[in-house]
Amino acid sequence: MLATATPPAPHQRPRKWWPTAPIRRLGLQTTPGRIRALAAIAVLAIAGFYIVTNIAIGNARDGLRVIGHDAGPQVLATGDLYFALSDMDSQVANILLTGREHNPATRQQALNSYNQDRATADRAAMQAAELSANNPIDQATVRSVLDGLGRYELLAGRAMVLNEQANHPAGPPPGNVIAVYRQATNLMKLELLPPAYNLTLEGGATVRDAYVAKRAAVLSSRLWVALAGLAAIAVLAGLQFFVAVRFRRLVNPALALATLGLIALSPAAVRLLSGEAAQLQAAKTGGFDSILTMSRARAISNSLHADESRFLLDPGQADAYRLAYLDKSQTVLYVKSGNLSQYYTGLSAAMKAYPRTVSFLGFYGDEARAHPGPAVAAVLSRFQQFQADDQRIRRLASAGDTRQATMLLTGRTAGSSGYDFDQYDKAVRSLIGLHRGTFDHAIGTGDRELGRSILGNWAALLPLAALGAVILVVVGVRPRLKEYR
Amino acid sequence: MNRARATVRSQAGAAALLVLAISLPSACSAGGPPSIVGKQSLRIGVKADQPGLGLRLPNGRFVGFDVDVARYVAAKLGVSPDHITFVPVTSLTRETALENGSVDMVFATYSITPERETKVAFGGPYYVAHQDTMVRRGETTIHNVHDLKGKRLCAVAGSDSWKRVTQELNIAATLVPATSYSQCVTMLLDHRVDAVSTDDLILAGFANREGPAVRIVNAPFSDERYGIGIKKGDVAACEAVNRAVTAMYLDGTAAALLHKWFGKTGLQLDTHVPQFEGCG
Repeated sequence: MLATATPPAPHQRPRKWWPTAPIRRLGLQTTPGRIRALAAIAVLAIAGFYIVTNIAIGNARDGLRVIGHDAGPQVLATGDLYFALSDMDSQVANILLTGREHNPATRQQALNSYNQDRATADRAAMQAAELSANNPIDQATVRSVLDGLGRYELLAGRAMVLNEQANHPAGPPPGNVIAVYRQATNLMKLELLPPAYNLTLEGGATVRDAYVAKRAAVLSSRLWVALAGLAAIAVLAGLQFFVAVRFRRLVNPALALATLGLIALSPAAVRLLSGEAAQLQAAKTGGFDSILTMSRARAISNSLHADESRFLLDPGQADAYRLAYLDKSQTVLYVKSGNLSQYYTGLSAAMKAYPRTVSFLGFYGDEARAHPGPAVAAVLSRFQQFQADDQRIRRLASAGDTRQATMLLTGRTAGSSGYDFDQYDKAVRSLIGLHRGTFDHAIGTGDRELGRSILGNWAALLPLAALGAVILVVVGVRPRLKEYR
Repeated sequence: MNRARATVRSQAGAAALLVLAISLPSACSAGGPPSIVGKQSLRIGVKADQPGLGLRLPNGRFVGFDVDVARYVAAKLGVSPDHITFVPVTSLTRETALENGSVDMVFATYSITPERETKVAFGGPYYVAHQDTMVRRGETTIHNVHDLKGKRLCAVAGSDSWKRVTQELNIAATLVPATSYSQCVTMLLDHRVDAVSTDDLILAGFANREGPAVRIVNAPFSDERYGIGIKKGDVAACEAVNRAVTAMYLDGTAAALLHKWFGKTGLQLDTHVPQFEGCG
């Protein structure tokens, strides 16, 4: 090719299309000037690569922090808070319902649960307050929940004392007890539970926002990291080539080393970012989404279980509690039905078709579609058992046998509704635990990958590597420049 | 020169590797319909014939609690009042209006139900009302919802209130069809129905207007959570309106609006932020 090219006429200097004066001012017409300029561009390119990569890694780190260490745990803490609060009210209703006919052990168990819930609520509220340290609105919300809890305990305590004095048989207590309990449960329902639940939802929204923004940023930054890496490699190679031709040396070891360093580092950085995006996705869609759904299902389930007790406890509000029970059941697992008896039938039909088809919606519909398997199947069969108990309880109640209905509801031994609900809740918790494992693993892997590279920590490696490359460029060109002194 | 060419070749190799690395399957961006968040103007569905909640005045202006809440939430989404177009909806048209995009949001005494959630998404609730029953002043046999057995009950198309009575509570009332609650009230006064059963806020608005001709029995039996209807799948909008509703309760606007519209009705008004339904 070179041999056949027509050589330009020796006396004719080709006209340059760029203005030559500023170039002369920069000294670019001399060899040392050109080396200096190329070296400066190389340093800038290395700096550019460092900055772009640093920003990209910062995005990945932010995503992991919000999802894995701030809002994610916040969702868990506030979920626990809601559950503990809701369960306190449920235990109080059970104690009031059993009256004097309690098996002393059962009553003690209910009191123990109540006290345990109280401690859990305190702990979860503290944790939620800590996690929302930089969000004054969330902190004020947590504080108001704790204030309300003090008032709730006073009312619940008074209802239990009055109940003790009434010494009534199993079933609805006398009017004065119901009146105080109504105040307590309304306080719980209107002032304590909503902020706790909304905090959980807000945590979920924060996670979603961070996930969408940070994952997209990490994914798209891969292109910029790659381009910045390529640019730096190209400039270094150009400098190397120029020096080799001008000084008739085969290779400039310092420049070659800098180039090789970038050739190794750039793809590694891109791979790191791909990995981080994958871990963010695994944590969010494989773990977090289900944790949130199942925490909400668990909270609503506890609340509908309590509505079952309140239905028996407060005959004046029985209609409201029955309607609330149906609404909440449908939120958890939706089958088309106009009333409770249609719901029982629809549920049985849906369970018969499962797992061949998931014909139901609601939280469990989402979960059964997203993560089919034995864990969700266990939850569904326990839920069905619990609903079967509910049907028996309501049949007894409508036949006027409130006593039997109460015994079935508040019992904690096998065959009672209380026992079946505990089993159901256990299955839900173990499903949450399963997703928690996926979540923790993804976040842990993401954290570890960020903290680890072939040569050590990325946070330390990247600036060191960039600085090293700059030093190598200087070391590589300085002896050549000296030749012109 | 050979060495230089080798460098060039290794550069090409590195470039190929990098391109390969970036062209790894990148997951698609967040799915779902485009969000109404960020829109400059909004079309909001409200009721046109419910005094106190959503009422169209003869001059075409819409007034009521729902309308004021809609303005507040729209402002939090960055839409000023003169960029809101209020569109009248009925109980029957709410879902279709959202589904076909003729409105962006619905604030129309729209109770959140699991059934409706299969078609639309709900932000909020921004208030929790309670179903109660309204009768003529002289009516002495109806004291609670169970007394509706054998009575003529107004049934508004698209509303769930009558279903609560005859389906969910299985009370054998005779249903008389109507298209709106204002029509129900007319029918009540004309003795064509014996009772109108729906949310206390709606009944209070009519009771306020009709004066001594009607009476609310004051035996509430359900929680009706008034949601903000949004197109299904618009999670960003749902989250944004929930934040707006939280702010509305925290800054005292909710309490002020409730007192403005229902302060004289004698209803017990709850000024605490309700428990949200949750998005997505």
